[in-house]
Amino acid sequence: MTLSAHGLSVVRAGQAILYPTSVCVSPRDRIGLVGASGSGKSTLGHALVDDLRMQGHVVAYVPQSPDEALDPLWSMAFHWREAEKALGLRPGAADRKTLFSALKIEGGDLRKRPWAWSRGMQQRFVIAMALMGRPNLVVLDEPTSALDPVVAAATMQLLDHCLRESDTAMILITHDLGLAARHVSQLMVMDGGRIVEQASTEDVLEHPKAPASKALSAHRNWLALPC
Amino acid sequence: MLKVDHVSVKRGASVALKDVSFSLAAGKTLAVVGESGAGKSTLISAILGLLKPAQGSITWAGAPVRLCRPALVMQEPRSAFNPTLPLRHSVFEAVKARKLHVGDARLDRLCKGLELERDLLDRRPAAVSIGQAQRVGILRALIAAPSLVLFDEPLSALDAVTQKHTAKLIAQLQKEEGFAALIVTHDLGYAVAHADEIAVLKSGQIEEVSTPQDFAVAPKSAYCRVLRDAAIALGALEPAE
Repeated sequence: MTLSAHGLSVVRAGQAILYPTSVCVSPRDRIGLVGASGSGKSTLGHALVDDLRMQGHVVAYVPQSPDEALDPLWSMAFHWREAEKALGLRPGAADRKTLFSALKIEGGDLRKRPWAWSRGMQQRFVIAMALMGRPNLVVLDEPTSALDPVVAAATMQLLDHCLRESDTAMILITHDLGLAARHVSQLMVMDGGRIVEQASTEDVLEHPKAPASKALSAHRNWLALPC
Repeated sequence: MLKVDHVSVKRGASVALKDVSFSLAAGKTLAVVGESGAGKSTLISAILGLLKPAQGSITWAGAPVRLCRPALVMQEPRSAFNPTLPLRHSVFEAVKARKLHVGDARLDRLCKGLELERDLLDRRPAAVSIGQAQRVGILRALIAAPSLVLFDEPLSALDAVTQKHTAKLIAQLQKEEGFAALIVTHDLGYAVAHADEIAVLKSGQIEEVSTPQDFAVAPKSAYCRVLRDAAIALGALEPAE
């Protein structure tokens, strides 16, 4: 089923930060939402999640830092139960064992609070919570920026593996075109609250048209630039 | 020259740094990389004298490091400044505390090098972009002419384009000012592109110190290969031909 949201716009303090924007996502799509800081990526991500949920679709959201998703006062088991409740699942209905195995967090003690887990394990737990309801779409906002490179690469690899097994579509919000190039097949480039270019990842990387796409493409790799 | 000589640092019962040794000459850049918890930030604290080594010594030209006026550039630029005061106050706080005199010419030159308008210093942190705030953080670090600048993840809060622009400005200023730069970073692409040497920390120990070329093409230890491969998987480095 194709998910679509039309005319999404956001105004804050009288200023438009997201101009009317439409997004269509098909099952198994891997879309990168890229742009500079303040270009409107996260705002569009939030607006899209809200709109699609109101249409009745199951849409999961993974924030940049696990701190935004996990309450330090409560155990990991409590968070899992809360996520099940939010999805209307009976306790234990979600296939925790399979998800934990796929995301390599079987060893984590669910009786403990988030801070007793490593950052990488916390973020993978948040991804497991996001995937438990077999969502139609998962939106990940800079999911690896709080992680070190080894953990970040492993997390993206495990996420790719999990999504390959399902029809879940993915929107990856990032300012890092290098990361997007490895994990998505299409790119939506944002600038000043608008999508200024939408094309295959290869086209945006090799033949960028919009100025924002050209800047991102030119800066996608440190070694591509003169020091 | 910064000399870290067989330094071990304890944090409570655990050993955060174990027998760490390296040196860094004036005008050169050393990138310190490694996973979270490897001891990178502990190393910065030890060099600044905020943590006392249980063993070993840290010196600049044979004297205590504090005498070379080491400066620190922090990861999160906005929270590194007092949010209630104009940026100018934070920039000149350390200068005043040390009773130093900074002439207009130096301020102008640094502002020009960092592409900052001087009027911007009259604004509060929330009224400037995050990239501008980080450049003011670098200005604050350099204003007292330090011989050694420690950068703790200086670019991680910035977007990809601003990261590269800021890195270029740091490199240009380093050429002009001649300070030694120790850069703690998770971004292996940045380390390879800008450092003269890369030190890999793992569980508080130096795993390998190598040139960027050796790190990118032929890392010696198995752990360094894991790090290099992770950087390739994240698109930060290109696979070797």
